[in-house]
Amino acid sequence: MIPAISIDFANLNIQTLVPMSIAIVGALVILCIDLVNKKLDKSLYIMLTVLFLIVDLAGVISYNGDVRGMFDLMMVDGISILAQAIMIIASILFILLSFTKQRFNEQRYPEFYALYLFMIAGFQFMVSSDSLILIFVGLETASMALYTIIAMHNRANAIEAAIKYFTMGALSAAFFAFGSMIFYAVTGTVEFGKISEVLFTSDFENYPLILIGVVFILSALGFKLSLVPFHVWVADIYEGSTASLAGFMSIVPKIAGFVVALRFFEIFVSSGNMFVEAILIGIIVLTMTIPNVIALLQKDINRMLAYSSISNAGFAMAAIMIGTTQATTAMFLYWILFSVTNLGAFAMLWLNRNKDYHTFSTDHALEKYAGLIKISPMTAVIFGLFLLSLAGIPPFALFWGKMYLLGAAINAGYMVLALIMALNSAIAAYYYLRPIVYMFLKEPSVEGIKFMVNATTTSKVIVASCAVFMILSIFFIQNILETISYYIQIAGY
Amino acid sequence: MEHILSILIFFPAFAAFIGFLVKSDSIRTYAIIVTAVEFLISLLVWYGFDSSMPDMQFLETMPLIDAYGINYVVGIDGISLFLVLMTTFMTFISIIGLTEKRALKNMVITVLFLEMTMVGVFLALDAIVFYLFWELSLIPMLYIIGAWGGNLRIYASIKFFIYTFTGSLVMLLGMLYLGYVYYVTAGSWSFNLLDWNMLILPFDMQLWLFVAFFLGFAIKVPMVPFHTWLPYAHGQAPTIGSVILAAVLLKMGTYGFIRFSLPLFPDATVHFMIPMAILALIAIVYTAMVAYAQEDIKQVVAYSSVSHMGVIILGTFALNVEGIGGSIFLMISHGIVSGALFMLVGVIYDRRHTKMMSEFGGLAKVMPKYATIFAIMLMASIGLPLTIGFVGEFLSLLGFFKVSPIFTIIAGLTIILGAVYMLVLYKKTFFGPITNPKNETLEDAKGRELVALIPLVALVIILGIYPKPILEPVNTSVKHLVQVMQIKAQQETSKVQLMSSNTIGEAK
Repeated sequence: MIPAISIDFANLNIQTLVPMSIAIVGALVILCIDLVNKKLDKSLYIMLTVLFLIVDLAGVISYNGDVRGMFDLMMVDGISILAQAIMIIASILFILLSFTKQRFNEQRYPEFYALYLFMIAGFQFMVSSDSLILIFVGLETASMALYTIIAMHNRANAIEAAIKYFTMGALSAAFFAFGSMIFYAVTGTVEFGKISEVLFTSDFENYPLILIGVVFILSALGFKLSLVPFHVWVADIYEGSTASLAGFMSIVPKIAGFVVALRFFEIFVSSGNMFVEAILIGIIVLTMTIPNVIALLQKDINRMLAYSSISNAGFAMAAIMIGTTQATTAMFLYWILFSVTNLGAFAMLWLNRNKDYHTFSTDHALEKYAGLIKISPMTAVIFGLFLLSLAGIPPFALFWGKMYLLGAAINAGYMVLALIMALNSAIAAYYYLRPIVYMFLKEPSVEGIKFMVNATTTSKVIVASCAVFMILSIFFIQNILETISYYIQIAGY
Repeated sequence: MEHILSILIFFPAFAAFIGFLVKSDSIRTYAIIVTAVEFLISLLVWYGFDSSMPDMQFLETMPLIDAYGINYVVGIDGISLFLVLMTTFMTFISIIGLTEKRALKNMVITVLFLEMTMVGVFLALDAIVFYLFWELSLIPMLYIIGAWGGNLRIYASIKFFIYTFTGSLVMLLGMLYLGYVYYVTAGSWSFNLLDWNMLILPFDMQLWLFVAFFLGFAIKVPMVPFHTWLPYAHGQAPTIGSVILAAVLLKMGTYGFIRFSLPLFPDATVHFMIPMAILALIAIVYTAMVAYAQEDIKQVVAYSSVSHMGVIILGTFALNVEGIGGSIFLMISHGIVSGALFMLVGVIYDRRHTKMMSEFGGLAKVMPKYATIFAIMLMASIGLPLTIGFVGEFLSLLGFFKVSPIFTIIAGLTIILGAVYMLVLYKKTFFGPITNPKNETLEDAKGRELVALIPLVALVIILGIYPKPILEPVNTSVKHLVQVMQIKAQQETSKVQLMSSNTIGEAK
């Protein structure tokens, strides 16, 4: 007979759900407003989204430490707080880019903003749990919303992108479910903490089965994190979506993915599992190198940035594989700095998006930016600085991330990996230089081309603050590092 | 005087920002004033510098990323003092001689930023801050070559950037590793060079680190076989770009060897002494021969630069006071002489828009002043006694003579080969009948050009006759450096080598 379940309300710890609930409530509020009045301006929806996200953020940072709730499904530890905070801040900045001069299809629908909030809530669930089931639920909530948002752009290649993403995503969901099943079969639990306990006490019994499970989960995460060889969707989908959404996809969903990867691979990294480590190293090296080489060939800046962000995901993944506290800190530092820089770079593309201009093969063809320094010097300088930061030139933001990450790799004894990272940075410098060469050293290719057509004061302020942060980042690194280490230490990584 | 080094570093950058607000037609005057002030500040540093002290002076420290041991540390000693002076002086002179008309304002602002990074490299004592200035110097140079250069300018600038960037990334790995080693031994992070100097590293670790730093420095110098970017960069760069590149940027590499490789890895330095010397010899002889084969005047000077940089490396790796002191002196004299030669090439390029020797001939008749100055610089480049070029070259070779007479004799070919290609160049360009009618009406060196060139001529002769004001402070610091190396060396062979090459006293 099944014993009766007694639920102690205090044990549920409902407050662990508060931040996500705010986002969900916000989404519902937006939908309800739309039911009542259909003529409201998009600025209202944007600001409502921002408002809910700010409250959400306040909810997140009010936590302090390891809180569990909802039958242990929820686990709000330091890593979760950190990841949620980064995701929400990035989301706020990205949604503000929806203030544009030109009218874009998706942004006219209030559903866009509701879906945006649902998506963020999904990611928040994903990082706030060590249960495979809740991670799956969060992952799928977020992904479903994201597919729809891409499709709402409503151009032929946007729908193609959404379908492509959906198909791949469905496959990865299946992989995830299958991997979870295997782990449940082997260990009788779906929580990472307990899985790890069982595996250690049984000394990795059923090793082949565990490995199959690892491969399945790795493939599923590989899709989300765009690790090679699961990366083929990235460039097409970034190209199909608007630049601001592409920027969002290159940052926020990946943090969520990294956190899951961090929790999952912790089990194997800490046990010194050679086989898993070998698989990871192989994937990381390929992820850093192959997209880098492909990016060299791109003629469209959006696609180039897409490939470069795959390569950057490889860098961050390396930190997870190294697995020391310094490496975990490096991963978060790297991703924060990468977020700021990539946000700026994609925002520059977004602001220069011109709907009426069809001289060039793609929206952001390199030739379009030729001679930008003569047409719009400020735009060229700021865009150039973002690219230099991505290339890892000191003292701009991403250099410090790269340096700290390389340091972490060296300190953990991964000399060869550090060397590969350094060489990849050198390759990357070449393709980041190409837009710079076009902007600064070439003559304008077409007369009368206009830039910054899509810019509004709000979006300019966002780009400017990113640029200022990026240039002066050296003065903030100390504080960021301290904050990150504090949260990582309370999470015990 | 407390923050004078920071002022020296950041004044040009600050002035560059202000420069955006200056009208284009007065920007040249603005630049001359700014670089003159910067030069005066560096003279002030010299004035306040106590040349009897071998240690770092005017030290300044400010925490940047404390948790990871990265601090803003600057200081100056006899080795960096004159490189800084040479940098500020050559920037000042090259701004006077600046003839560029297109987008002059951008050019001036870029040069001022470049000056900040160059001074920063020579003054930084924290490895990461050093790396910061080191990498940052690539961007203005990329822009100078890429925006104002010749037909292949974009290829040349990217090649320059990628080559040096790749090398320095490997160097960065070495720096991060050293920071880690310091953390393991001392319990706290530090990238401060003065802290690192306390480290005693095991031999095999030194070898790897030496190679990592070598890649960064050797590409910058450039040492054969990493020199292929340089002829392109020089060939395509505008005059001011070539002047600054030859005079200052290349010296960053040789300075790096002296500042980092020698004191940090004494055993590895001794271990790699002969291979380094062989690379230097190849550079000296091979590029001198290549220089002879050139038909473009600028390429001759460019290859002669690589050749002379070889002598500097040879002197440095003599590992004694004469050699290192001589190579530092040669860095300064080469900065002045090659800078002057590139400016001289710029003068006729402005008039004729060609740099081919075959286009000229008999210039001595129409341009007597120009020909005289060219001749003096040429003599200094060859290393004729009583010119500035002689002192450094002689001391470098003397230093290495104690290590290996045979190598030194081969290296001594530099003087003969240098004389060959330089005199051939002079003969083809300046002597003989005027074959090309276009040359008959060429204007001699005039106002601004003379103002830029005559101080250089004066320096070449004065310091050639009386080099003591530079040699003495340099030697004080170099002696200290050699002592540090002798104390830190652990291998028996390296101790013996360092002792034996330092027995015969010092250079006077």
